[in-house]
Amino acid sequence: MGFPHRPHERETLVLSKHFGEHEAIGLDGWRKRGGYVALEKALRMTPAEIVNVVKESGLRGRGGAGFPTGVKWSFMKPGDGKPHYLCCNADESEPGTFKDREIMRWTPHALVEGCAIGAYAIGAEVAYVYIRGEYTEALDKMNAACREAYAAGILGTNAMGTGKTVHVYVHKGAGAYICGEETALMNSLEGRRGNPRIKPPFPAVAGLFGQPTTINNVETLVAVPHILNNGAEWYKTFGRPDNPRSTGTKLFSVCGNIQRPGNYEVTLGFPFKDFLYELCGGPLPGRNFKAIIPGGISVPIQTREEAESSPMDYEGFVANGTMLGSGGVIVIDDAQNLVKQIARAARFFAHESCAQCTQCREGTAWTTKILERIVAGDGTHEDLDTLLEISENMTGKTICVLSDSCATPVVSGIKKFRADFEALIKKKRVHMVPAQVA
Amino acid sequence: MSAPHGEIGEMHAPAHASHGDRGHHHVPYSPVFTGARRAELDELLTRYPTKMAALLPALWIVQEERGWVSDAAMAEVSDLLDLTPAYVKGVVTFYTMYHQHPVAKHFIQVCTTSPCNVCGAEDVVKSLLKHTGCGELGVMSPDGRYQVIEVECLGACGFNTPLMVNEKFIESVTPETVPELLASLG
Amino acid sequence: MATTANVKMINLTIEGRAVSVPDGTSILEAAKVAGVLVPHYCYHPGLPVAGVCRMCLVEVEKAPKLAPSCATSVAEGQVVHVHSEKALEARKGVLEMLLINHPLDCPICDQAGECELQDYTFQEGRAEGRYRDPKRFNPVEDFGGDVVYVANRCILCTRCVRFMDDVAHDPVLTVAERGDRALIGKFEGQDLTHPWAGNVVDLCPVGALLSKDSLNKARAWEMDRAASVCPNCSQGCNMIVETRDNQVVRLRPRPNDAVNKYFMCDHGRLNYRWMNRADRVEEPLVRQAGVLAKTDWEIALRSAAALLAGKRAFVLASPNLSNEALFLLGKLVRRTGGSGSFRVNHGPEAPLPGVEDLALRSDRAANVRGAEMAGFRRSENPLSAMQAGDVLIVADEELGDVDAAAAAKAGAILVIGTTLPAWARHGANVVLPIANCVEEEGTFTNLRGRVQRFLQAKAAPGSARPSFFVLGDLLAAMGDGQGYWTASQAFDALVATQPSLAGMSYDTLALKGAASADAMAAGVGGGGART
Repeated sequence: MGFPHRPHERETLVLSKHFGEHEAIGLDGWRKRGGYVALEKALRMTPAEIVNVVKESGLRGRGGAGFPTGVKWSFMKPGDGKPHYLCCNADESEPGTFKDREIMRWTPHALVEGCAIGAYAIGAEVAYVYIRGEYTEALDKMNAACREAYAAGILGTNAMGTGKTVHVYVHKGAGAYICGEETALMNSLEGRRGNPRIKPPFPAVAGLFGQPTTINNVETLVAVPHILNNGAEWYKTFGRPDNPRSTGTKLFSVCGNIQRPGNYEVTLGFPFKDFLYELCGGPLPGRNFKAIIPGGISVPIQTREEAESSPMDYEGFVANGTMLGSGGVIVIDDAQNLVKQIARAARFFAHESCAQCTQCREGTAWTTKILERIVAGDGTHEDLDTLLEISENMTGKTICVLSDSCATPVVSGIKKFRADFEALIKKKRVHMVPAQVA
Repeated sequence: MSAPHGEIGEMHAPAHASHGDRGHHHVPYSPVFTGARRAELDELLTRYPTKMAALLPALWIVQEERGWVSDAAMAEVSDLLDLTPAYVKGVVTFYTMYHQHPVAKHFIQVCTTSPCNVCGAEDVVKSLLKHTGCGELGVMSPDGRYQVIEVECLGACGFNTPLMVNEKFIESVTPETVPELLASLG
Repeated sequence: MATTANVKMINLTIEGRAVSVPDGTSILEAAKVAGVLVPHYCYHPGLPVAGVCRMCLVEVEKAPKLAPSCATSVAEGQVVHVHSEKALEARKGVLEMLLINHPLDCPICDQAGECELQDYTFQEGRAEGRYRDPKRFNPVEDFGGDVVYVANRCILCTRCVRFMDDVAHDPVLTVAERGDRALIGKFEGQDLTHPWAGNVVDLCPVGALLSKDSLNKARAWEMDRAASVCPNCSQGCNMIVETRDNQVVRLRPRPNDAVNKYFMCDHGRLNYRWMNRADRVEEPLVRQAGVLAKTDWEIALRSAAALLAGKRAFVLASPNLSNEALFLLGKLVRRTGGSGSFRVNHGPEAPLPGVEDLALRSDRAANVRGAEMAGFRRSENPLSAMQAGDVLIVADEELGDVDAAAAAKAGAILVIGTTLPAWARHGANVVLPIANCVEEEGTFTNLRGRVQRFLQAKAAPGSARPSFFVLGDLLAAMGDGQGYWTASQAFDALVATQPSLAGMSYDTLALKGAASADAMAAGVGGGGART
């Protein structure tokens, strides 16, 4: 569903089928649409059976890293005598990404169900859904869905009458991009600053409250009921026939300078060119696409040509110099000052750095200052070399990848659009009208 | 007041620094967590194996109740959750949504991160600064009703420009719709 | 780095040197074993690992990325390069980042000369920075206690925060804000007043946390240093005495895993002014025609011996004297058939919760065990056992609050001390000036029976001599032995009479000390007095 637009015929609606249907938000409406059938089925399976089906389906994490979900679940050892936890990462903060928000706004019970199945599959009695604090509507909908599910006996100490315990609790974030990083999310949930943790230990060994923990993205978890209902083979039919490593449907959020921004659900491997022009309607009148960031602002920028030849799956984007990431497609057209947007992206990361690692704390801010100076017309040619060297120092050397994420648009921007930078440096002091000067 | 050196100890202790007087302006602090709010916190505590995990929810309760999180409130929360006030302060200052100062009646946060920026978010900010009378980011309007700040990505990039007025999320604001929006806030 | 049979040993190569360390050791600690220092800031062996400064990045062969050596455990067959080009480039990058907002105010910074940021920048950093933009500024903040915070120099290593959280169990410090706005914060009205809070100043690798007490007193390179033992309570924390122009200006902890780890309490570290007191007795004095007159050592010692001839000696000893001095005093007491006692000042006990058996002890004296070992009796009313006509030897005891009438029972008074108490100006027959504990060499025995050496840090005033030397000469003047030229000879003589010290010498004690046999037998918590 190209929400908020009507679905396009080339979309494959699985997760987004009921976006925009107010009736689907409540429990009764959701049950009419097949809700909680999968959970009922799951609670009568063994955890290992569920893990196997998910493994077989080829479902991979939809938050950005693309780790096979079934394999991740299999790291948990039910019956090891320790409390296990499931965390649902609903901190969706990657600029350009707004798919989980729609899932929670329109189909909150789908996520409750996905969490319940996931928790049971990994031997956890408690699942926490960590939702970013800005998603007030999603928070309301999810809280209401949980209340309904408890009242209906779906959740609790006798989930769906099976005698099994499944709790799903909503936990509200408070404004920190980094809490979307899995270990930072755990720290935040524990009531700490959202600092990413050093790995190892990995969450499956010592995660939330020091106990074995699995953390999954919203979109990953809502795919699970469909897989249990329809089988792994069904799920595997979605995808490029020549790429069995990317299966299923994926929600792509599209924003920026494009005719129809919104969420689109397509099978993995869908041609990016068709996606941009057919589904999303192409560029605004009289303009052309200049740069496209296909997986949230942390992934390398693509030129139009690179984007148009990419199949939309994990491998397809990597082959074209970028990553699928979170599936947040940001389109920038030829009317924009690209350097300013890269500076804006750097400022985002400087604002969000947790301050632990030196390179990130200082490097994100330094990068921002240089870029903003270039945009203001005070740049020098040495600045570009310095930027590339700072970016190198910020890559692969810190606890988490926020630092790398800041370097990515800078490095790919300078590499692919160097002329834009040089033009600004030559021009000297013309741009820069700060927003606050009305 | 602890005074490591005699000469400091002999000075008059500034009234605001003494531990017993946690509130500002010498108004006695009345606790947030009484009655229903206390019950709410007690229910929250059942959800987690540690008291500390209830810190973010507890701070949200404070902000809902008081509009901001004062030092005195941090001290109250730290007592309830067996933490120290300094620890709570470290957490509060990490998260941008907790207000450490009182804010205007309509606290407006506009997303200006790249996806919204390319779609004209800065013009929305300009329009807001003009129509609210704030003039500058972060500054309260002369009538005390509005305060406008830029925020990083609100996660509604396809609905630009999104903004939040207090806890209310509003999508697809344009410079032109700003007056109408402000009128609807009351 | 204790290796026991049940710990698996891991073999690896660091900078071409083969080392074998217990499983679970970090690469950084393993490198120390190999004699290689990996530059680091946030890592400290006494604190939990944070892994945030990213300075200790090293290259591990076959690993895809550089590894933070503080947070990476050793693995069998690992080949580690600390100074490879890749590792050096990464650390150069970190140093540059740490300096972009740093004020570079070394000329006015107390840390200069002992600053790890300075040291590593000289060692591995860029000759010139590339930062051209405005620097971040934050004002200096008083953290209370003895600590002042210079935010602009802070590198956010969080050692101070971790110390207060995990060692002092008093989390009054925190990292506040985030990104490059982050700084160390505390809560209004809650200061760094924990009795051990001063350690954050030592832990700070840069000039961000400074001691108010030593602010602007001396540059690091102007100070002389000597290994010593804190005399301010019976814990016996190992310390470094720092002097400038023969004045003690700072006391700092000296690491010793068996006693104080890396720490020292504020009471100990700030209580040093008495070591510099100016009202010292500087020359030997003998009472002639009713007045105390300066004389030379030979006459003074002869006079003292004459005083004691055929008399019982009653010694009022200071529990801050060295084992050597107390041993010789004990010998003197036994020789004259006399007795002796001592008293101990008290104060509240203040433990450091994160370290086992470490506290500012209520006994505010360095050598209570040594005094007991020498045969002296602990008493609140120390002169009560003195018999009329005894020669009272006041051995560095100020004798405040002592009943004057009790002292008057003495047949004669011999003062062997650093100062001459006011009352003794009238009563003393002979005064022998001695060095205080930072002016001489010796040993103390701490409350757990650990014998530890302290070295001389400054010169004694005037003709004052080391206590062991004076007492050895006094005994010699009484016909007992030849005296001692060095403290180690005096210690050897003590060891010969004390089975619990068997095998000890200054060489074996070295700078970390050793537990006496009865302390070993009693275990950590034991250690009853012996006579």
